[in-house]
Amino acid sequence: MRATLERASPARIARRPTRPQLIKVGITTVLLLFAFFALPELLSLYYVDTMTQVAVYSIVTLALGLLVGRVGLYSLGQAAVLAIGAWAAARLLFATTQPYPLVLLEAGLITMLAGLLIGLPALRLRGLYLALITLMLAGSITVVLATVNFPNGGHGFLGYNGGLLHIPPIRRPSIAASDPAYFRYSMVVAVLMFALVLAHIKTRPGRAWAAIRQSEPAALAAGINIWFYKLWAFALASFITGVAGGVLAGAIHYLYSINFPTQDSITLLAVTLMGGVFSLWGAVVAALLYQFLPALLNNWGVSADWLIILFGVGVLQVLTTAPAGLADQVPRDLARLGRFLGRRLRRRPGGDAE
Amino acid sequence: MPPWVDFEPFIVSGLALGGVYALSGVGLVVLYRATGVLYLAFGAVGALGALIAWSLITRAGAPGWAGWLACVAVAGAVTLAYGLLFGPALARRDPLIKAVATIGLTLILYGVMDLLWTTSGGQARSLTLPTDNGGFTVAQIQVTWTQVIALAAGVVLTVGTGAFLRLTKLGTAMRAMANDRDITATLGVPVRKVEAAAWLGCGILGGIAGLLLADLVALDATTLTFLVISSLAAVLIARLRSITVTFVAAIVIGLLHDLLTPIASLTSYRDMTPFVIAAIGLLVLSRHQVMTQSREEA
Repeated sequence: MRATLERASPARIARRPTRPQLIKVGITTVLLLFAFFALPELLSLYYVDTMTQVAVYSIVTLALGLLVGRVGLYSLGQAAVLAIGAWAAARLLFATTQPYPLVLLEAGLITMLAGLLIGLPALRLRGLYLALITLMLAGSITVVLATVNFPNGGHGFLGYNGGLLHIPPIRRPSIAASDPAYFRYSMVVAVLMFALVLAHIKTRPGRAWAAIRQSEPAALAAGINIWFYKLWAFALASFITGVAGGVLAGAIHYLYSINFPTQDSITLLAVTLMGGVFSLWGAVVAALLYQFLPALLNNWGVSADWLIILFGVGVLQVLTTAPAGLADQVPRDLARLGRFLGRRLRRRPGGDAE
Repeated sequence: MPPWVDFEPFIVSGLALGGVYALSGVGLVVLYRATGVLYLAFGAVGALGALIAWSLITRAGAPGWAGWLACVAVAGAVTLAYGLLFGPALARRDPLIKAVATIGLTLILYGVMDLLWTTSGGQARSLTLPTDNGGFTVAQIQVTWTQVIALAAGVVLTVGTGAFLRLTKLGTAMRAMANDRDITATLGVPVRKVEAAAWLGCGILGGIAGLLLADLVALDATTLTFLVISSLAAVLIARLRSITVTFVAAIVIGLLHDLLTPIASLTSYRDMTPFVIAAIGLLVLSRHQVMTQSREEA
């Protein structure tokens, strides 16, 4: 299995980065700078909003990819976790005048607490049972949210007032009130979350997770506290998903419980698997699949149902033939194509006609 | 607390709902035991069958029985086709991966259904069985034949499947495969054929459940597709193993769900019933876990 070939990144002796590593860092920096400075200028407002969603959902798929790819925990309740984060952020934004970054942090921490409360008992289960219990919990959260509703500026603990005629929008940070500015803001948050996850993967927790994913008994024998590191992964994933929920609240201004149906959790797992769970790029690809493609199809007047069908086919394809997803497959196929074309071009001048 | 009279009608509807959950649960358990696949597309194939039946009956003017037969046949055929195509490819993978793969099928079917039977138009479809009209009264509670059929189907299929697994050759082969696929194959059991039979049986049950739920709950792709999550609760409590426990859990879930309806403070939370019961059941049952390396891990 390719999955097991993933580097476990042993504590490496400090050495100079290799050439491929430098190229990778270079490409990433250029892409990020392009997205930050040029993208909002080039795109229409419709696509700027879409790209904000992509930034938000890349954090969500990052969290899910972390659980699935690094630790081997399949969660079918990620959309519900996102809803908790969005709820907490919206409540805080209506109730207080705290600066936005602080609210994001608090929303993340609240979601983390909720995630821990769920994770503490659920992590006694493994594999299929854990996946199904997350699905059950997501179902419960959806039902609760449908009843208590999202805060809309009302009073009380729940902050919902069904009789409100003029619902105030959820506020944005003052430095990012316009849509392009908010896109840049979301991007910065997303980059920070990616950096947080990368820092985990490259250090002790990442190595523990890799060991757990390959074999729990072996990890246990190696003296790794399986339960603790699984809970850590759960907490980290909940935290960053909660932050994403906070960004989402500001992005769409109004939150409704029908925006977070249980089936979204299932679709999220599908796109995360398609994007690729063994690389951080996979999360970006997954978010593009999940948010950019529907916007594109919508613009072209094509039904989004085709996309659902595509996701279904994608899941089957990933599970049967390409476990590392698009983030791995596309560069490899491109490299293969490049080599093929290179050989062809070199052969041409020699007058080799087949 | 409302008076008892308010609860009475919900006992009947709860038992009917529990019967369908039991029927679905038994189908899921048998397939899981025989092939190791938890079939998450169970609701989706039922929904597809029910929608095709609806089209045949209301659009093409086909007689009722033809529509119902088509529903069961389509559900069985789709399930069998999936099992034949992807069963062997994923046979040696973890049960988790096999279950996630059926999510792929669920999404494909859901997309197709939403495309062909669009819900945005707003017109509500309904599939009513002729058994809705007839019925009888027990202690002043109106009971329709459909409700009787739903509960009876649950009971009959649980007992029937139990007997089938115990008494027939095919059933014995399925139980053997549940224990160890490789040894069963070595003993000369045609593993692929037995698996195919399990897939077909599960699909047919999916079709029957889809037909009954379309009548009892709603004929809507989203509802029917994701209603499987509720049946899963019963299966989970039975730890994907015992059909008797599945049956009992399904009846309890169906009953509790409907009995919460008249209680004003809880009525909007009643859809949580299966999830809460499953969560509590699983957590209590998993207290003493043993770490295993086997593929049959639970």
